[in-house]
This record gives sequence, structure tokens and C-alpha cells, in this order.
Amino acid sequence: MRNVSQIIDGKRQIIKKPELLSPAGNLEKLKIAIIYGADAVFIGGKEFSLRSQASNFTIDDIKEAVAFANQYHAKIHVTCNIILHQNNLEGIKEYLQALDDIGVTAIIVADPYIMMLAKEMKLKLEVHVSTQLSTLNTKAIQFYQDMGMDRVVLGREVTYENLKDILNETDMDIEYFIHGAMCIHYSGRCMLSNYLVRRDANRGGCSQSCRWYYDLYDNDTLLTNENDMPFTMSSKDMALVNHIGELIELGVDSFKIEGRMKSLHYIATVVSTYRKLIDSYCDDPNHFIMNDFYVKELEKAANRALCHGFFYENPGVNEQLYNIRDEHPTQEFVLRVIDYDEESHIATIEQRNYFKVGDKIEIFSPSHSNLFFIVKKIYNEDKEEVDVANHPMEILYIECDQYVEKNDMGRKVIR
Amino acid sequence: MKLFISLNNKSRLYDYHDMGIHYYLLGTPYSFYTPHIFQIDEIKDMIASYPDCHFYVGLNGLYDQDKIAELETYIDKLQDIHITGILFQDFGVLQIVKDKGYHLDMMYAPETLNTNAQSINTLAKLGITSAFISHVISLEEQIQIKNETSIPLMMFAHGVEYMAASKRKLLSNYKAASHKEFNDDHLMIQDRSSKKKMHIFENNHSTLIFSEERLYTLDLFNQIKDMDYLYIETLFMDDNEAIEVASIYSDALSSINYDRDVKALLALLYQMNKPLSRGFLFDNTVYKLEDVRKIDNEKRESNH
Repeated sequence: MRNVSQIIDGKRQIIKKPELLSPAGNLEKLKIAIIYGADAVFIGGKEFSLRSQASNFTIDDIKEAVAFANQYHAKIHVTCNIILHQNNLEGIKEYLQALDDIGVTAIIVADPYIMMLAKEMKLKLEVHVSTQLSTLNTKAIQFYQDMGMDRVVLGREVTYENLKDILNETDMDIEYFIHGAMCIHYSGRCMLSNYLVRRDANRGGCSQSCRWYYDLYDNDTLLTNENDMPFTMSSKDMALVNHIGELIELGVDSFKIEGRMKSLHYIATVVSTYRKLIDSYCDDPNHFIMNDFYVKELEKAANRALCHGFFYENPGVNEQLYNIRDEHPTQEFVLRVIDYDEESHIATIEQRNYFKVGDKIEIFSPSHSNLFFIVKKIYNEDKEEVDVANHPMEILYIECDQYVEKNDMGRKVIR
Repeated sequence: MKLFISLNNKSRLYDYHDMGIHYYLLGTPYSFYTPHIFQIDEIKDMIASYPDCHFYVGLNGLYDQDKIAELETYIDKLQDIHITGILFQDFGVLQIVKDKGYHLDMMYAPETLNTNAQSINTLAKLGITSAFISHVISLEEQIQIKNETSIPLMMFAHGVEYMAASKRKLLSNYKAASHKEFNDDHLMIQDRSSKKKMHIFENNHSTLIFSEERLYTLDLFNQIKDMDYLYIETLFMDDNEAIEVASIYSDALSSINYDRDVKALLALLYQMNKPLSRGFLFDNTVYKLEDVRKIDNEKRESNH
């Protein structure tokens, strides 16, 4: 049993607060993740990392990421989780050394060769076993522990009951997915993309073939007619927002959010929501009351319908997407606050999507509660009044009677 | 080079043995997938009846925490009946065998992950004693891995190829969503774009997807002659096809020794009229963004 809480001054307090681990696909997203409350951020390098279509970080970017994270006492994990082929081996040693020299906290690895290499090189960085290895039990965890690994990222197939048993039986650092998209198949064991479009899923080229439409046959007889629901293997996204308290009480070491390909708005919303939820629970676990703010907040950034994944049991029909219309519309992210003048009540903002005078904007922030205002006046950089904000990344000025802060974000309220 | 076959019918063991095949993979209730599930007593009988044969058991699933205790008990039983080895992909299985001090041939067979020699050599230091090379890499890479690896290696020689596995009941879920009723025995899915057909089925553990085509290597023996084992997957084969394929490969293996031409055997394979494929043997996958874009562009242009 992990020691998670103790009585201090007559009140039960959480003494083992889990790390909140966010994804980031570029430096801007990484900085926002940290500002919005991530304790650690995982990123991919240009080489040896899955998600080849995420922007991914150069060595110089990683240096800047570590320097920025250090200011906030946050950590940087770098994914080196491709399954190496013979021609991918060159340069791995130099790359690991460079990451260690920069001060990266951990690498996330799926290939046993890289695992052992990192340990043999006596690097300071931690080596985390990637979810690509679909680790589901304590015997496998013991194997990695004997190898000297520092953390295991569990497979998404681990249920709450199995997680409880795992945490009771091992002292290994355990990372558990709490939010994001789910592979429908066992991670690392899916070759659909390889077979159907020659894109290697285990080296970052996954085409998400599981989300395509298929026709179903019984031998040569077509079972799915033209107007029938096509066969698909698409999963709803996972959100364990309603179970965070239970997971904290188990003593999970790290809560992982999936999504290195996700937008700035998504990262800010999801990280901010879980940060507030975790902090609120840990402040007073015995009197914590879950309210629907957290769920509603996450739904504003959701790309797909949300579900509880494998938390209770094997996901059924309600945890899958069978129709494209099930997919959620994303709330529109329209601005990021650059500055706010308390005297003039003018916010300097960076435009991200179209909005206009009269629109209702919801501001969310890492440091204060959400607030709403109606856009009354917009000025361009020449301080000329304009009716619409329609140039991406344009610096604009808007009147806002309520106090906002640098890095707050605004989304248009869709009526 | 020895033939290694997944046994689909105990009563045909005599025929396989007669062909000179001495290595068998046996399915169990704990196997990831198998053409047939054998009970412990059946395995015990086969071991007793064919003392010159080597019987491996497929404990090649990914096991949930709540299955570990019964899996340990099952491994104890396998040890008691003197199996030769275990094919596995969950390192939990290897850890159990190591903890118990059993001396079994532990063949690491993760379907998709044995793609370079260094990783296999690393795992050899950690307890694996043989390995099944991934079949999603090219022939050239497989040969290179063999040349740079010190432990015995098995290569996928013939049969339908594993493509994916989900812990979810994907067919049952689809039935519930679509309100359709259909027989589960011979289902296939076809991608609407590439028109590729694949076998799909559920077992007690998961939903599995396999290629429709059988990968074949019959005419490549001169190139792969240094492999230790050639694996024949009999999943989705009826008795006749399995026996015929085993016989053809067995003859081809003899032909190497006598330097005979395999063209006649190849003709026999074609006559069986089953879809054949080269899988990834002569094809490479891509993964870098620029290569992915190149492929997408080529596909777009070819559609115009």
C-alpha cells in the first residue's frame, strides 16, 4: 500500500501528489503547458520519436525547453520510442548523450537496446518504459525494474482494479494515462497502417487506419450494405476526470495526458482543468466535492466524444465511435492575452481565429476563474477601430472591463 | 534450418512427423491466437509419444494483472510435462520462468518488435534464448539480423500474417451498434480505399486481424538458409492445406540439400489456389513526414 496521505494538524492531507504530465508538439505549446500547470512535459525529438507528424523539437529547441522548464521547476521528458530497424541505429548514442548534457529529466523508450544503452552510458537522465510495450502486470514491471528502468508507462488496457493491485505490489514509478486519444489495438502491436498504406506505425508513421471505414464480409458475402453503418474500429477519447480522486488515493506517480499533435487551446484547457482538479482534491481530500465545471471545461476542447476507457472494464459499444457525427465540434479558440492595462481596461491580444464586435468571449486562465465579456471595441495596431478580427496572429487591442492576465486565452462562446 | 509448425490437429502429428518436421507450436487457453487449443493432458501425451520432437507452447498474449496467478500455475504444469519452450511476448512470462528457475527455451515472439539485431542481443543477456524475427521488415533486414545475432532465430515462412489485436470485442461491439446479426466464423473486413481484405475474429482474450494472403518464402531458401527455424502458420488453413503446405516446404528443404530446383514445388503451391503474398519481404515502410507526403502525392497523382 502506498503512503498517499497523512493526518496533519487534525486534517487528512495528500502527501503524494501525482505529477501532471502534458504533451507538447512545439515550444509554444510546451511553454503554455507549463504556465497552465504541468509538472512535466513530454516532447519528441526530430529523430527516434513516434508521431512523425508532430512538429517535434531540434536539439536547440530541447535546450530552450529545459531552460524554460527549470524556471518553473518543471521537467522535460523526451520520447525516443520508435522500434528501431537496422538502419535506425546510427547516431542514437550521440543523441542520448546530447539529451543528457542538456539536462533532460527522462527519455521514454520502447526498444530494449536503447534502454540498456542509456544505462550502460551511465547517463543522469531517467529511462521510462514506453506504453508502446503494453505493460499490464507486475511481473513485466519486475523485468524492467531488474533492467534498471526508472518508470513504467502502463498500457491503456489496465483497469482500475488491476492498477490497484499493481500499485500495491510494486514500488516502481508508475505512469498512467488519464486523458486523450486511444489506440484501439494494443500499442506497438498494430500493423494496420503498415499493411494498408506502407506507413510504419512503430516508427511514427501511423495513418490511424483503425478510424477508417471498412466493409464486413462473411466469406464473400457483403454484410454491410450501402446504407448500413460501416464497420470501424474508432475509439472515443479517454477522460478520467471523474476518477482523479480515486487515482490520487492509489498513489499513481504520474498522470499522463496524451496528444503531442493537439492544439495550443487543447493543451491549455486540458492541463489547466486537471491542474485545478488535482490541486483542489489534494487541498482537502475528505471534503472535496466534484462538480461539473471540470467535465464541461474538457468538453470545450474535445475533438471527440469522451469515455472512461478501460477504467471499469473492457470498453463496450458506448466507448466506440461508429458515426462521424458523434465527433464533437471544438469550441473556437480566438485569442491569447499578451498584456492588460488595468487603468484603460484594454487587453493587448494575439488573434487566433475570427471574431467580431458583439461576440461573447470566455476567458480561461491558469491563475483565475473563467470569466465572460462581450466584445465592444476592437482596435488594430495603429489604434484604429475595426469591427472584426480576421488576421491570424495579428496584435489587436480590445476593451475588457474585467481583469485578465498575460497568457490567458479566449474562446468564442457558441450560442 | 528446421521447419516449425503451429499444430492444428493432433491426429495429423504423425503425418508432419513423417515429413521430418520435429518442431511444433501448441496453442493453449492462454495463447494470443492459435489454430487449435490443446489441453495439458493432450500435450503430455504428444510429448510422450514423440520423444524426438520439440513441443513449444504459445503463452504469447499480453496478460492482465488478474491473470498472472493462474498463468504461474499453468507454467508450473508445463514445466512438469517437460515442454521444450515457450513463445512469449509479455516480459511477465519471462520473469515468471526466471523467478521459478525453469530451464525452458524462451523464444521472444512479439509479432512486431524484433526488428534489429542489437535489441535481440540485449534481450539475450536478459534471459531470452531464441527469438522470432518480426515479419514486417524486409528480407534483407531479416538476413542482416540473423548475421548479427548470436541466439537461434525463427523466420516467418508461410501463412496468414498477424496485423493487429485489440483487447476490445470489436465484432460484438459492432453488432450491438449496428443491430446486425451475423455468424462470426468466417468474417473479413475490407478497407474501402485499398480494397484489401483481412480476416477478423474474436477469441476469449481479444479481437485479432490477419492478412487474407499467405506469405510464402518457398523459393527463397537459398537466401534464408542460415535461419534456424522456418515457421509455418496454419491458422485459417484446413487440414488438407496445412498438410500440403508442410509437405511442400519439407520437400523444398530437402531440395536445398540435393540442390534440386524448387519450381515444381512452387507450381504445387500455386495450384492450391490460395492468395499468396510477399508481405514486407521486398518492400519497405516509411515513417518520416517527407516520405509520408511523397507517398500521399504519388497516390494522389496515380488517381488522376
